[in-house]
Amino acid sequence: MNTIMQKIKAFKFKEPKNKYLFIVMMAAILIMTVLMPRQFLSAVNIQSMAAQFPEFGFLALAMMLAMITGGIDLSVVAAANFTGVIAALILTNGTAAGLATTSAILLAILAVIGIAILCGLANGVLIALVGVPPILATLGTQGLFLGLATVITEGYSISGFPTEFMFLGNGTVFGVPFSFILFVIGAVIVWMLLNRTRQGFTMYMIGSSPTVSRYSGVNNTKVIMKTYILTAILAGIASVIMISRANSMRPGYGSAYLLQAILVVVLGGADPDGGFGNIPGLIMGIIILQVTQSGLNIMAFSPFFKKFMWGFALLLVMTINYIAQWYGNYKRVKKMKAQASIGSA
Amino acid sequence: MNRMIRQLTRRSETYVLLIVILFSAFVTAINPAFLTLENLFDLLRSSSGTAILAVGIFLVLLSGGVDVSCTTIAIVGQYISVNVLIRTGIDNIFFMFAISIALGIALGAINAVFVSLFRLPTLIVTLGTSSLYHGAMLEFVGTKAVNVGGLPQSIKTFGTMDVLTLYRPDGTTYGLSVFFVMLVAVLTLTYFILKFTMVGRGIYAVGGNLEAARRAGFNTTKIQFFVYMYAGMLAGIMGVMHLGLIRYSNPNYLVGTELSIIAAVVLGGTRISGGTGTITGTMIGVMLITILEKNLIMIGLSSYWQQFFVGVVLILGVSITYLQAKFQKTGRQIILKEEE
Repeated sequence: MNTIMQKIKAFKFKEPKNKYLFIVMMAAILIMTVLMPRQFLSAVNIQSMAAQFPEFGFLALAMMLAMITGGIDLSVVAAANFTGVIAALILTNGTAAGLATTSAILLAILAVIGIAILCGLANGVLIALVGVPPILATLGTQGLFLGLATVITEGYSISGFPTEFMFLGNGTVFGVPFSFILFVIGAVIVWMLLNRTRQGFTMYMIGSSPTVSRYSGVNNTKVIMKTYILTAILAGIASVIMISRANSMRPGYGSAYLLQAILVVVLGGADPDGGFGNIPGLIMGIIILQVTQSGLNIMAFSPFFKKFMWGFALLLVMTINYIAQWYGNYKRVKKMKAQASIGSA
Repeated sequence: MNRMIRQLTRRSETYVLLIVILFSAFVTAINPAFLTLENLFDLLRSSSGTAILAVGIFLVLLSGGVDVSCTTIAIVGQYISVNVLIRTGIDNIFFMFAISIALGIALGAINAVFVSLFRLPTLIVTLGTSSLYHGAMLEFVGTKAVNVGGLPQSIKTFGTMDVLTLYRPDGTTYGLSVFFVMLVAVLTLTYFILKFTMVGRGIYAVGGNLEAARRAGFNTTKIQFFVYMYAGMLAGIMGVMHLGLIRYSNPNYLVGTELSIIAAVVLGGTRISGGTGTITGTMIGVMLITILEKNLIMIGLSSYWQQFFVGVVLILGVSITYLQAKFQKTGRQIILKEEE
């Protein structure tokens, strides 16, 4: 017993901000449990929560990678739409043209990955080679990808996929939603990338200071290109889950996810100026968002109120971060002044 | 003269203007109806509001920020003010403008609090506030659209008011809308502020380097508040104009069109990093986007291509600008090396 307590006391979050996130997450879960114990802690609700967030969790992972390098990717949802339309077309027309269902699904997924790589390459070339600021580059490609998706579908929705495909978004393995398992795998891979590989290390470095990283022999161009390709692939995976869950695809699906992805990434401790961002923080951010979202749903709040809430939450978190930082600096300066006065005396 | 030409070739606005002229010629060749006074007046009427909004976004970009909440502020101003008009029964366009502008300035000031006092990144602040404003309006004010039947008379009169009336051969009339006069007024005022006032010069300074501007003695907080409140005011004006134009107040309109307006401003040569840009350039950018958006149908392409073309034009435009900057830099480095 004693050793467990000691262990808990000795446990430290690697990122200091995660301590507060953990408290907020626990508080959110606790509040929801106290307010409606029967609905919130029911197996159905937990299962549906676990199935709801992966599609947008992948988008958040993508957004975080871009933010770590000091950029931003406004085109994630558009890329997801574009790849989703292609996949939907292959799935509906492929089976109609006589392809076996499994090969149609494989083909669709391969097409998603391939097109996602092209999308990421477009962003990467613009940002790393041409030198366009990420906001502008991805703003442009957002219009391009979404425009392509709209042109292809002429604004109509495509629906009616093979039932095997629906397993990706709706199926469960021993009661655990399959999309949740996919997200866990994805998060672990991204975690390994960020913490165990050269690519991840240099991404943080570029985010802190591109000049320093260049002078220490890092090929910035290559690292940034790879980052945006990865971002687009994650968006592609999100799109597969999205269309499988909805059993249809229409350009403009998930446009609200852009704000939510930025919100969660900032909430999870990433800095829009680059250099910060970690998987545990992001996951806690996602859980906080999902728990409040489900809570608001159960309490029957309107989607407009939720829109209001997300904007409010984003601003609140950013402001608290700013004040905490300011207060930390203030205390440090005060301490230094005190030490200086002792020294001079 | 030579120097002037050389300077012109260096500015991306020149190329954008060339593209505008070429595209107009192309559209005219396919559909001669494009280059008639009537169509031009119509284009001016329908794009004046967008242009006014673009001026606001231009100022924000100039000061080193990005504002994606302008269109939301415009629709909030429009929807709330038209509802106030209907509920109170005061049928006066100036009253509507007053409410919409006051709302715009207030919401702009909220943006400024986060940007200036808390020093948060402008893109994320305005993303957050636009969600906040729009959500709050839909939740607490209403979601029902106001159609022509329920619209106060003064707005309808305002929407069709002309300052110059011309006759078609068959005796019917068309004219230059009052919207254009408002655009000219806004442009003149903004030009005057940027050129001749301390605040205006300060906007360039803040956009160039905030810290340097502060140390040079500019009141950067005041300048940033001015920029966001001014942009909010213009958004408020645009909201009323938009209603006069389309005579239908849907609380979900306008939201989502901010990116193409930012694209227009950036195409006009304004740097997203702040400190560089002109009003003339901004207007040329708006012209390009307007012509692209309004005339795809005239050359026989469906409106689905709109977003695609705006994206392509934006990518090409900014790529050229930044490639130019890159080559100029490397060119300078080569010269420096040779001098060594």
